[in-house]
Amino acid sequence: MKDLVEYIAKSLVNAPDAVVVTEETDAENGILLKLKVADEDKGRIIGKQGRIAQAIRTLIRVKAAKAGIKASLEII
Amino acid sequence: MKEIEVSARTVEEATERALEQLGLSLEQAEIEIISEGKSGLLGIGSEPARVRVTENANHIPAGEQIETCAVDTLETMLNLMDLDASVFRENDTSASYDDEKSEAPIVYDISGDDLGILIGRRGQTLACLQYITRLIVTRQTGYSAPLVLDVNGYKKRRYESLRTLARNVADQVERNGNPCTLEPMPAYERRIIHLTLAEHPGVITESVGFGEDRKVIIQPK
Repeated sequence: MKDLVEYIAKSLVNAPDAVVVTEETDAENGILLKLKVADEDKGRIIGKQGRIAQAIRTLIRVKAAKAGIKASLEII
Repeated sequence: MKEIEVSARTVEEATERALEQLGLSLEQAEIEIISEGKSGLLGIGSEPARVRVTENANHIPAGEQIETCAVDTLETMLNLMDLDASVFRENDTSASYDDEKSEAPIVYDISGDDLGILIGRRGQTLACLQYITRLIVTRQTGYSAPLVLDVNGYKKRRYESLRTLARNVADQVERNGNPCTLEPMPAYERRIIHLTLAEHPGVITESVGFGEDRKVIIQPK
């Protein structure tokens, strides 16, 4: 799950080396992905009215649905 | 973009070999010298010269850069999503290209089994995939490309059925004089309805509502 977020994030930011994705598993809510990027890259990941972040979440859901699990993404 | 690192006795020799391997001329590449190399004494303490040769993006046509980047990006994402699918360039772009003023889109069809999951409700997931792919390609190549994605010809079929629907409903509205509201549709689908009926003598079309609930109303003229 992590690698998909990492690929998209790294392809969109100015500082790909600052991209860090961590994965936490919660019995109730499935996988929680935490994405951290350089401060000046936050806008490139979130987008106007969170449009980019929402699109990334939609793509994560496809992968999660295929695996029969739940996954959510938080940008920190 | 092609890049290679080559070692040889001298910088000139390494450069020449690298260019040969990449099939480029000196003008089409950037050359970075990593190590000048040392000749040493009788071969003792000698160090090879090392250069990194990178293909200069400026000589690759924009269209080619966009296409390579789009296919790479898509294939990587599909792979990371655990989807077994192939990406093909769709040459018939009529379904997503209906006004001569705009640039012809570059359409890719993603084909494979069980890809309904990639289309999503009213094509929302497909729209997200297209959005992210466009962003990545624009970011990586510096060109904003009119990329359009389809899954197993979904949009193409939708295009045909929306045009038929539009004409049928329009004829009915014209006949009985009552306006008819269609179900909510994404922007590009509403656009198909508007364009199909733009020349219709008996009706006018209008979109109402907000966000996901926006829909077309077909009214008698």
